[in-house]
Amino acid sequence: MAPQEPPLLLVGTDFRCAPIELRERVSCTGEEAEHALVHLLARPGVSEAFLLSTCNRTEVYLQPQDEDEAYHTALDLIFLDKAPELERPGRLYVKRNGEAAHHLLAVASGLESMVLGEPEILGQVKQQAALAEHVGSTGPVLRRLLRSALTAGARARQETAITSGAVSLGYAVVELARNIFTGLEECQVLLIGAGEIARSVARPIVERGAKELKVANRSQERARQFQEEIPMAQLLPFDERLGAVATADVVIATTSAEEPVLTRKQLKEAMASRRNRPLLVVDLGVPRNVEPSVTRIENVFLHTIDSLDLLIQKNLKRRKEEVPHVEEILDQELQHFRSWIRGLEAEPIVAQMQKQAERIRQHELAEALSRFPPETHADLERLTRSMVRKILHHPSTQLRGRGGHHDLSRLDLVRELFRLDDENQS
Amino acid sequence: MITFLDTANLLLPLLYLGTAIAYGFVFFAAHPTASRLATPALRGTVLFHLVYLAALAAHHRQFPAATVSQALSIVAFAVAVVYAFVEWHGRERTTGFWMVSLVFFFQLLSSVLTRPNPPDRAIFHDPFFATHVSLALLGYAAFVVGAAYAFLFLQLYRDLKAGRFSTFYGKLPPLEVLERMMIGAIWVGFLTLTGAVATGAFWAERLYHSAWLHDPKILITLATWVLYAVALLLRRLQRWQGRQTALASLAGLGAILFSLVAVNFFFTDFHGFL
Repeated sequence: MAPQEPPLLLVGTDFRCAPIELRERVSCTGEEAEHALVHLLARPGVSEAFLLSTCNRTEVYLQPQDEDEAYHTALDLIFLDKAPELERPGRLYVKRNGEAAHHLLAVASGLESMVLGEPEILGQVKQQAALAEHVGSTGPVLRRLLRSALTAGARARQETAITSGAVSLGYAVVELARNIFTGLEECQVLLIGAGEIARSVARPIVERGAKELKVANRSQERARQFQEEIPMAQLLPFDERLGAVATADVVIATTSAEEPVLTRKQLKEAMASRRNRPLLVVDLGVPRNVEPSVTRIENVFLHTIDSLDLLIQKNLKRRKEEVPHVEEILDQELQHFRSWIRGLEAEPIVAQMQKQAERIRQHELAEALSRFPPETHADLERLTRSMVRKILHHPSTQLRGRGGHHDLSRLDLVRELFRLDDENQS
Repeated sequence: MITFLDTANLLLPLLYLGTAIAYGFVFFAAHPTASRLATPALRGTVLFHLVYLAALAAHHRQFPAATVSQALSIVAFAVAVVYAFVEWHGRERTTGFWMVSLVFFFQLLSSVLTRPNPPDRAIFHDPFFATHVSLALLGYAAFVVGAAYAFLFLQLYRDLKAGRFSTFYGKLPPLEVLERMMIGAIWVGFLTLTGAVATGAFWAERLYHSAWLHDPKILITLATWVLYAVALLLRRLQRWQGRQTALASLAGLGAILFSLVAVNFFFTDFHGFL
């Protein structure tokens, strides 16, 4: 380890290394994570521990006292006991020190996510950092690293476009609606079909606060299943779908019907009855559910799986272009973390300096006090304390690295100048 | 004073150009430095423009709309003020590049067409003149703003229709908002132009009897007024939607430019001031 590198060890697996069957076996619920952290801390090789477990990754970050022991503890306790298949080459990754710190910052910023820039990961890191804090498994080093990771994640979201633009079908529909209508909160959505695609598209729409969601489906049983999953949905008989188009702002068709469920003629009539207000029509059906010629109707915006895919690819490309900007943020935050680590190395020397100065102060004061009247003793005590504090303030700050330039040779020089090693021995 | 007016006449298009470039960086690249600079640059330039117009009025002792150049400068100023207000009120800067580019274009035309000695006619000192001209210029400025929103509306409309997601997609306010802004600006322009036409007709009838009706400038202005009236009427009757109204608004801008520049230079003497 380089002398000023953070002492860290990371062992983990993610979607790139292991299939879902293995990932789900090593994934931890809150209670399991709490249990695992307590067990990790009980081992003598581990000083601090943090466990990050999501559907796409399980990672354990340790501040080791004995790196070899810490590694084997994490490997057995978190991974191999539950999924021995992970022992095969390439299923796990191990990172150390600065590389491990950089990895956590990259994870929190969404750079390591399956969908680049996925915003949920920041909340997950925050939640699991709180759990580790609650258990008491994080000490000064991991606590500071987590703070850097959360800052990096928040900055990446605020200062770059890494999370911007929709990258899933449902959010792509939301994005299109937001480009047409003043707010999704005012939009009425009609879903024709209640299958798996309909559900996956409906979830983000409901999450983003659509005013109303109506579902027209041929099978009432399937529609009821849909309603159980998304209770705000209002069910309609399939034949009433055309009447609902008149009041809807967004229509999404997801059936597997052989014939179009919306024809140009039907939509033209519906548009007349809705006074030609804009209408977003999304056709996700196979074969197509909406006659392609509806695009010729004024104020009807027809989108298919192809145009949504184009939008998603465009947004992903934009996110990829943001990666170098996020990396800059990670470098800055990592630099702050490293400075803090360097400051930690100076801490024992600062403490020794202060102890030595205090001993001298007390010695000199004890000799001098007898020569002064008793009513001045409190003032002399205050005065000497203040002098010592002020004399040591600047050197202490510099040593902790707040001044920016110091290295180990400077720490050695301070030890020699103040004879701190002799002081320690005495 | 003359030195200041000459310098300001040269500086104003350059300042608007610089501001438009800053807004361009905001629109196309979301550049952080440009984001910080654009709004103060616009406000500073608008303030400088106001000082210039006041100095122009003080120097010539008349309302500064005695020439095409002065009228264009007032239109540019009014558009800049309207946009600065919209930006401040709606915290919406994505349309800044297009608005300020138009302002630059109008001010550039104004600076190029400047004449050293504007005519000094008796009517220019009549308070009725100031009212008539102010209403007309305010109307033109509102139509210019409406045309800018119409242009942006059409770009986003085409992107959303064709599913091609060009540079405009994702950077503009929603289609409904652009349409509302466009219609609002057209209504303001239409009402103020109606006021200008009414005051002008009353005043001209008093001074020139019916001879004024044959002036090409007035005929073009009336045609422009009819174009906007028809657009608003058809919209009200649900016959026209946003796209058709936007196209009419762009046609109206063409008519306004023709009326402000070409007609003044080639067809009219009577309406030489505007």
